[in-house]
Amino acid sequence: MTTKYIIKTAFAGLRNNKSRAALTILGIVIGVTSIMLIMSLGKGAQDLILNQVQSIGAKTIVVHPGRQPKSLMDSAQMMNADSLRQRDLDELRKTTNAPHIAKVEPLNVGGATAIYENETYSVTILGGGEYLQDIYDIRLQEGRFVNLDDIQSHADVAVIGSKVKEELFGANDAVGQKIRMKDRNYRVIGILQKKGQSFISFDEAAIMPYTTAQTYIFGIKYFHHLIVEADSEENIDATIKDIEITLRNSHDITDPTKDDFWIVTQQTAIDQVKTITNVLTSFLIAVAAISLIVGGVGIMNIMLVSVTERTREIGLRKAVGATNSDIMSQFLMEAVFLTGLGGIIGIILGASLSLLAALILSKVVGLDWIFTFPISAMLLGIGVSAGVGFVFGLYPARQAAKKSPIEALRYE
Amino acid sequence: MALIEVKNLEKIYGGDGAETPALRGLDFSVEKAEFVAVMGPSGCGKSTLLHVLGFLDRHTRGTYLFDGKSMDQYSDDELAKVRNKKMGFVFQMFNLLPRTSVLENVKLPLVYSDVKESLWNDIAMKAVAEVGLEHRADHETTKLSGGEKQRVAIARALVNNPQIVFADEPTGNLDSKSGGQIMELIDGLHEKGCTIILVTHETYTAEYAERIIRLKDGLIESDMRVTARHHGGDKFIK
Repeated sequence: MTTKYIIKTAFAGLRNNKSRAALTILGIVIGVTSIMLIMSLGKGAQDLILNQVQSIGAKTIVVHPGRQPKSLMDSAQMMNADSLRQRDLDELRKTTNAPHIAKVEPLNVGGATAIYENETYSVTILGGGEYLQDIYDIRLQEGRFVNLDDIQSHADVAVIGSKVKEELFGANDAVGQKIRMKDRNYRVIGILQKKGQSFISFDEAAIMPYTTAQTYIFGIKYFHHLIVEADSEENIDATIKDIEITLRNSHDITDPTKDDFWIVTQQTAIDQVKTITNVLTSFLIAVAAISLIVGGVGIMNIMLVSVTERTREIGLRKAVGATNSDIMSQFLMEAVFLTGLGGIIGIILGASLSLLAALILSKVVGLDWIFTFPISAMLLGIGVSAGVGFVFGLYPARQAAKKSPIEALRYE
Repeated sequence: MALIEVKNLEKIYGGDGAETPALRGLDFSVEKAEFVAVMGPSGCGKSTLLHVLGFLDRHTRGTYLFDGKSMDQYSDDELAKVRNKKMGFVFQMFNLLPRTSVLENVKLPLVYSDVKESLWNDIAMKAVAEVGLEHRADHETTKLSGGEKQRVAIARALVNNPQIVFADEPTGNLDSKSGGQIMELIDGLHEKGCTIILVTHETYTAEYAERIIRLKDGLIESDMRVTARHHGGDKFIK
């Protein structure tokens, strides 16, 4: 029996039972569609987050206080870690300690409600210093940025993001006006240009001298982060070493496993994001794969019915010379054909739905979402669906092949 | 050498205490190009005999030599090969593929043969022409009359140029006119040198045969040559 004939027969078998075939492959279609959707959206989400991570900058190193979190409990404790202090900042600013550090700036992050006249807006407080502007490539639309004087004098000043300005002041002038946060007034000294999605949402931020933020907003004496910029990308590794040595000295730590700080670079952040999104995507794919198994069982069920229905045909084919393996391949091919078709429909549907989702996410939600449809997803979709057909078609096909020609011909 | 030679052929259905003997020790042989009718009341084992002779079922005891070789020496796949190359089958229920054209049905044995696919159409078309259905070659078999269906089945049986054709009550579901036409076609095959084994309980079809084997309760009751052969529809043996 030629392959061409097997395929032709399989196709004719489907054509003769159009609605049944359509219903049978529905499970496979749904399964493959959801896997395609998850893979495409997972990749899109990963790219989106990675883009934001890239905005950290390749030369930037972020020092976090406390132990590196390994679990959710650790992350909760991290919030209270108070190991990074003014002394560490001073030590890192000494070129003898870390020659490749170009700039260091502390960063305290928190939330507060900003009030201006009758308007209120929930802002992200960023307590930092003058170097933040360079490190994060912050551009001003109006006014000036936080400077050294502000830091030394604990000045009650704030540079506000474009969204904050819009929400509190509308079209009115903001620079020189006073906004109220945590029962204290702060003079607006500058307004940031609109920046859009990035690692830190500057548009919704109020940047203040870190000394002011520490004292009046957070009431703490430590830093949430130290942001370090190396003089070049090549010196990142050397700089990390220098930071580690400097901070261990400063904290009297001899055993590196007892470090009370941890360091994140763009690269480690990218790796982490990839790990997390990949784990999430795989988990979701595994869930979607269950529907493929259910679909496969449906295929098996229908194939068994079909084998019984076509007992006479099987008998006849055997009578005119079909061997067991001929019958087996015919029914197996039909199952594979059925699921393969389901796979192809699923891929097309999955691709269309992810494109639609991408359009909604970028046009309506306003994310920098880029539609991606990995080739690997497509191959996986076809491969898996055909595989499902093969596995679940095997049993019915064997049942068909096992029929004796005479039993089959007698069947009424 | 005889084409078919059976010795003490037995076929027992079932097992585990519920054994039903269908054939209880048959001895006979069939020469090449012979036309044998197997007759007898229902349940006498004539269909079972045809199935065993046609390699569709295996016997329980005794020996069956086909073309000099014992059936026991064939594997299932080899039996399928022999059925495909040397045997043709015509059944009472026609057994055509539904929703499939006449030509595709006739092609079926070629599909499982060594014949090149490019030749299938021509060979099948020739067989369709032989049974006079060339004008219906593209019709679906479900739309044909009973007589036409059986002609398709005959075309299918002869498409691989078999040595022997087994016909199991080929006229059983047909009116006598169509039945007569079918018997003419089968007789035509015989004239061309094809061995025919015809199972029937109708005397008018049996009269085409050269020899009639009568079975009763799984045994041969009589095995007689038909001396006066008649052709045509109105001179039936009574």
